[in-house]
Amino acid sequence: MSTPDSELDQHLQALFAGLDTAADFDARLMARLRAEPQTDATERAMRARQQERARYRRAVSELQSWRRSMLSLLTLDTLGLALLLIVAAITTWPRLGRDAMDISHQYGPYILISLGILIAAVPLLGMWAEQTRRPIRLL
Amino acid sequence: MLTDAGLMELVRAERRDEAIALLLPAFRRRVFGLAYSFLRDREAAEDVTQEVFIKVWRALPGFDGRASMSTWIYTIARNASLSALRAQRPQSSLTDPEVMEAVESINPVPSADVLVDRAAILRLVDQLPTKQRQVIMLFYMEEQSHEEVATMLAMPVGTVKTLLHRARARLSAAAGKMSATA
Repeated sequence: MSTPDSELDQHLQALFAGLDTAADFDARLMARLRAEPQTDATERAMRARQQERARYRRAVSELQSWRRSMLSLLTLDTLGLALLLIVAAITTWPRLGRDAMDISHQYGPYILISLGILIAAVPLLGMWAEQTRRPIRLL
Repeated sequence: MLTDAGLMELVRAERRDEAIALLLPAFRRRVFGLAYSFLRDREAAEDVTQEVFIKVWRALPGFDGRASMSTWIYTIARNASLSALRAQRPQSSLTDPEVMEAVESINPVPSADVLVDRAAILRLVDQLPTKQRQVIMLFYMEEQSHEEVATMLAMPVGTVKTLLHRARARLSAAAGKMSATA
């Protein structure tokens, strides 16, 4: 086999110049493309459903985390502490009772106003905390 | 005359099928050649070419024109070919009987001697390093345009010229050895 450069060129051209797809390539492709919008719409609907499901799961888990955190406070330690406070209040009340009555007569309205402010502030604080957290997007 | 702006006008008018019909004659062979240079398997290269045009069809509305349409299509083609190559194990060879048959059917040759020469050259091309082989295939397929081959393979034109020179030197030397031993 003798292959000077020009002959090598000829051989390589003959080998690769005619390289092409099968004759029905365009027809097959166009048929696939015609079927494509339907596939596209189905895929998009499926993806939207999956995203919606994921968002719902996230929202539920965030709500559950509130419930869980409240329930997590209800431990033996907190119950024991509450019991201890009640026992302490009952045992010290007879001694403090008279003083407490005097204080309540004197500062009663102020105490009631402070309590009212505190009770009103709790939901406001809650709302503020909720806004500063990552919002739960349901839609 | 096929221009990127003209194609984008068709896409904006929701006439993507027409845009693809215009792109096909301009890029089908090149995309196929590029896929074939990676995969060395006609069927796999044809499958990849189909996938590339479907991807192009899907992505056309998002084409922002930062790169030219040809560069964009070749990038999609290279990525699709590499993905197919990773999935395709073991790799086929240019000298596989069915590949040889396919090449011969595309390029019928006049005499048995020439056929033997071409089969031998095909074997030699198959033994070249990947990049040299790709450059040789695309160069001779693309009617000897260094620039087009450079765009297809995302290489500088100088690199294409160097790879081509080395590949041709190797092929000449190997063919010379073969003729000396014959």
